[in-house]
Amino acid sequence: MSNLLKFSDFGPDSGGRMKGVVEVKPIVYGNVSRAFGKKREEDGHTHQWTVYVKPYINEDMQTYVKKIHFKLHESYENPNRIITKPPYEVSETGWGEFEVVIKIYFHDPTIYKPVTFYHILKLFQPPSDGSAPNIEGPSTIPPIIDTKKRLVSEFYDEIVFYEPSQLMQQMLNTIQPVSSGSWTHDTDFEEKKVKTLEHIQDTRIKVKSEIAQLKERLQQTREKISEYKELMGTDKKQP
Amino acid sequence: MGDMFREILNIEQPPTPELTKESLMTKKKGANEKTRMSRRPEGMHREVFALLYKDSKDAPPLLPTDSGLGYKQNKARLGMKKVRKWEWTRFTNAARSDGVQFCHWQRASDEPKEYPFAKLNRQLSIPTYNLNEYNTHLRMNTKWNKSQTDYLFELAQRFDTRFVTMTDRWDRDKYGIKTVEDLKERYYEVIGTLQKIRQGAANNEKKIYVFDAEHERKRKEQLKKLFDRTQAQIEEETMLQNEMRKIEARKKEREKKTQDLQKLISQADKQDEQATLTTPQARKQEKKLNRKKVPVQQKINKADVVTSMETAAIRFGEGVNKGTGIAMRSQKMKLPANFGQKRTKALEQILSEFKVDQNPPATEEICTAFNDLRSDMILLHEIRSTLSSSEFELETLKQVAEIKQEIAD
Repeated sequence: MSNLLKFSDFGPDSGGRMKGVVEVKPIVYGNVSRAFGKKREEDGHTHQWTVYVKPYINEDMQTYVKKIHFKLHESYENPNRIITKPPYEVSETGWGEFEVVIKIYFHDPTIYKPVTFYHILKLFQPPSDGSAPNIEGPSTIPPIIDTKKRLVSEFYDEIVFYEPSQLMQQMLNTIQPVSSGSWTHDTDFEEKKVKTLEHIQDTRIKVKSEIAQLKERLQQTREKISEYKELMGTDKKQP
Repeated sequence: MGDMFREILNIEQPPTPELTKESLMTKKKGANEKTRMSRRPEGMHREVFALLYKDSKDAPPLLPTDSGLGYKQNKARLGMKKVRKWEWTRFTNAARSDGVQFCHWQRASDEPKEYPFAKLNRQLSIPTYNLNEYNTHLRMNTKWNKSQTDYLFELAQRFDTRFVTMTDRWDRDKYGIKTVEDLKERYYEVIGTLQKIRQGAANNEKKIYVFDAEHERKRKEQLKKLFDRTQAQIEEETMLQNEMRKIEARKKEREKKTQDLQKLISQADKQDEQATLTTPQARKQEKKLNRKKVPVQQKINKADVVTSMETAAIRFGEGVNKGTGIAMRSQKMKLPANFGQKRTKALEQILSEFKVDQNPPATEEICTAFNDLRSDMILLHEIRSTLSSSEFELETLKQVAEIKQEIAD
């Protein structure tokens, strides 16, 4: 962490809240995994995997992140893994998929609550398209499998700081790059963002038109029903 | 004596204290007992002993402590006065016309009074008619002749218009068979007519009682039918009533559903209007942000956030700290806690039907769009299910109508 900032400069309330300010830090989290190709004799493990949290852009998260807590499946020895320095990742071997609880703690003393999110560890690729019926549906994006037989399942999210303290804002705005090289991800999120948004908007138009159609049909059906009801009503009175 | 009981009850006896002047002067009896009784007798269960010694450590009362002076005041103070004398005396009942004398017990000191129960024999004043009145006003009813009417009034006088008794005593051989309703009808007809005639002279309007014999007959008939039902009929009726209730409930439910749907539809329409109002400006802003490629500092227009929250039919990201603090953007897409599993499943199904990623990259723009989309999808889902149930209803109605047609043919 850079020593430019000292907590004491800002007092116990970290300099107070910055009214109306919202800071956003995009991140990428997920896991990569690789199959051994066969079952390991001693423990039955089949995959090697790494679960991680990375900054989306080339920034040193250590500036504002105190630690990241990865909670693994309870069958792991000491499932609570706490990482205080980048890279924020945990590598393990295993045989099954489970939900990893990720908690990010921040340096700001006025914020003692971490943000929590969940990642389902992916080890197996879903059945390829066109073969057996896809249980999970096409809406779950198939994980990327690259040439090294590596499976990647990662997601884009943003940490949103609503009205951060002055200290926090300082920290968020004085970030050094984490590496001197280029900073890329396995998934092209820029493309994905655009495509997803387009798809969502297109779908919304489709859904809306279907709603309109069905509304019309519903209206007609209702009218017919009331017609029949009237008919029946008069029938009933006649005898 | 006490010592003896104690011996019988196997209570340990205290050592007799030495009798000195001092002990006689100072010692109180209670203190003595306290020390004696606070030890648990051998063989006595601890629980029972605890019942005895709870508050003051006093010995349990051996005598009933009820003084008789409770919360209620005694009403009579018995046995304080000299007994008054009763006499076997004769009396006449003023209500009787034959002047028969009976005896009863009476206080000697009481003054001889009128027999107190005589006033309970209330005499009805039943109007009478003379031949002239009968001939001019009462002959019209062809079912009744003069002698029958006379007999009716005689019986009415005799039995104080207790019509059931009158019917019972009616001389059927001589006057023909009449029911209770027949008697009542004729009686009140005559009374009414007489009242009308006489009122016309006296000019004081009094309400004339009109007896609705037809209604009474129907009522009795219905009661008889109700009484004569067989067990099977009763069961069928309750079954039908239950069915009816079920049908009503279903109808209500359907109506409620329709109302809910109407609400949703109008909400969606409103949302559309607002969306068209806000989008042009929002789009521009978002495009700008997109061009930057990397949103280093997305300054969010707060008002936009608020409107997007309000317009959504489903309140996504409920409970997320909006004012201050740190949150993941994706939390804005979280379904509200009260969303329900069925709807969640339905939503997932529709999302996969349209091949939409359930976990899109959580930029603000995508979150909002995704939430709006899902609101619409839920609406679509509800409309779909309502439509199918309405179509089913229509189909049923059609079939019922056809069957009716067949029956009619």
